[in-house]
Amino acid sequence: MMNNNIPIAIDRDGKSVWKFLISELKPKGKWLTPFNVISIPIMILGLALIVYRFIYGIGSVTNLTQDTPWGLWIGFDVVTGVAFAGGAYVLTFMVYILNIRKYHSIVRVTVLNGFLAYVFYAGALLLDLGRPWHVVNPIIGNSFGVSSVLFLVAWHFLLYMIAQLIEFSPAIAEWLGARRAHKILSGMTIAAVIFGITLSILHQSGLGALYLMAKEKIHPLWYSEFIPIMFFVSSIFAGLSMVIFEGSITHKVFSSQMSETNHHKQNDIVLSLAKICAGTMFAYFFLKLLVFIHDQRWDLLATPMGYWFLLEIFGFILLPMTLFFYSYRTNNIAMVKVASVLTMLGVIINRLNVTVIGFRWDAAVHYIPSWMEIVVTLAVIFTEIWIFRWVIARMPVLRESPSWTKH
Amino acid sequence: MDGFTYNNIFETKGIEYLAIIAFFAILIPFWLFLNKRIKSKKRQNGVAESLTPDSLRIPQGLFFSRFHTWAHLERSGVAKVGLDDLLVRITGEVKLNRLLETGERIKKGDFIAEIVQNDKSLKITSPISGEIVEANALLLKNPEFLNEEPYSKGWVYKIKPTSWVADTQSYFLAEDANMWAKQELVRFKDFLAESVVKYSADPSAVVLQDGGELRNEPLAELSAEIWNDFQTDFLSKKTLCRNKKCFRQEE
Repeated sequence: MMNNNIPIAIDRDGKSVWKFLISELKPKGKWLTPFNVISIPIMILGLALIVYRFIYGIGSVTNLTQDTPWGLWIGFDVVTGVAFAGGAYVLTFMVYILNIRKYHSIVRVTVLNGFLAYVFYAGALLLDLGRPWHVVNPIIGNSFGVSSVLFLVAWHFLLYMIAQLIEFSPAIAEWLGARRAHKILSGMTIAAVIFGITLSILHQSGLGALYLMAKEKIHPLWYSEFIPIMFFVSSIFAGLSMVIFEGSITHKVFSSQMSETNHHKQNDIVLSLAKICAGTMFAYFFLKLLVFIHDQRWDLLATPMGYWFLLEIFGFILLPMTLFFYSYRTNNIAMVKVASVLTMLGVIINRLNVTVIGFRWDAAVHYIPSWMEIVVTLAVIFTEIWIFRWVIARMPVLRESPSWTKH
Repeated sequence: MDGFTYNNIFETKGIEYLAIIAFFAILIPFWLFLNKRIKSKKRQNGVAESLTPDSLRIPQGLFFSRFHTWAHLERSGVAKVGLDDLLVRITGEVKLNRLLETGERIKKGDFIAEIVQNDKSLKITSPISGEIVEANALLLKNPEFLNEEPYSKGWVYKIKPTSWVADTQSYFLAEDANMWAKQELVRFKDFLAESVVKYSADPSAVVLQDGGELRNEPLAELSAEIWNDFQTDFLSKKTLCRNKKCFRQEE
């Protein structure tokens, strides 16, 4: 009995799933690109350092101490990385809840980015745990740890990764040619989106809430009861700036995949995102100002940390906000890209100020990350980019979905 | 208790209220100003608005001829004529060379002016017959009016018509003009596809087609040969108009 009606594996050219997956593992494209040449040695070294860390303990690889138990891996990989992944919830909110179809063409790549970010940065978190095997405790209940914000963070990360995977899974189904799965998963998208947005808003602020109990340890210019709200608001423009930045790179690298219409739309999308960033940063600036007034920190401004604080505000919030504003008004794409890079630097500086630089700023021995911590961080980021590249080259993320999806 | 500090939150309340009021006060002009985009800026690299039927300006009370010129009869009995938005959006910034002086008589279909861009030019055909009453002097000093306001400040001639009704009978007005403009854009895309392939080694680099929309000013970056082709194949009298639809006449 021939099955002529329902093609099972159009995208797979009739191959079985396993043969198809194995063939997809083969690299597409040149091996010796500049990016590969830089990233491969770092990734190998990073892997070696990770193995070393698990054999000889965290102190052998990092400069963390009892006074500064959280360093670069948490301050940068987890806290900053998650802020940059905020583009996913903002975009899915705009496309699926507000129904602004304009951004639809970039939703998939942003959700993919967000998913990989959470997977890798939650993974990087494992590196920093003294007893990484206890990471399942908040889930399985061997001492849930409900009195800690980390309980919320752990559950949220897990649930949000699942939600993002569901949001992205239609692309995987299209890649595998799994039509029924595609139909079911597409139906679950809106539920996953709503769930994901709700989770995101809470854990973006939750990461800030982690630092609420460190009142004496964080420099007063950066500590306030409003850290959670600040982290949440800044995650909006951090995520969108990352979307602009990463979009301009993938636009060039994968331009052959994108259709003409999507190429045209890109500039319009970038300008609209610039407008949203300008507005959000305006609100964020006033929030910072209010908190500053409320906590009466005037006398701290004339200190070195005070100048650093002013630099963060004026150089990395007001300046990019003005650039976004001006570039939106004059349709200047290049300026938008500059503004987004400045914004991202500002978010990194802000997050590091709260978690590392401003944390125990008064300690006798300042914490400075070791070269090994930096290499491991870079290795994590590069691995994430490799996987991102692998997915984009194979799955319909930037290119149009196959025609059978348009039911 | 070590490290415990107490801030009197009431001390700053007044300033905080002022800050919040300032926020709202600044927010309104911020938002208004942000949304007032500078639209008529010169084309930036990579940021071209597209040339689509919706973006064309087509005043509903003007008669549009198949030569892409318009005519509008005023109360005084004198008609103004000029270039239509589609033509100037296709060519980009041009200067006008007048070929005629006040008092000269012309017939519908005569060349009355030339638009020039560097070494490229197009001849403009008169949509009506009559006597030239006035030529627009503003265009000498401000040639950009042709592109920015082709229907108001960018008028080319004032002509006293001798056969208005007969001349304009086959012309497009209001809804017909809207539909005709759409068709002309499609016809232009076809023209471009043929013409560009003829002269260019790498046609795909030149204009954006394949179901995508045309860039603004597509002819601005094309050669003089393509402009000549545009004159003879697209703007020419060889174009037949029947039932208010225009076709290229078969040879």
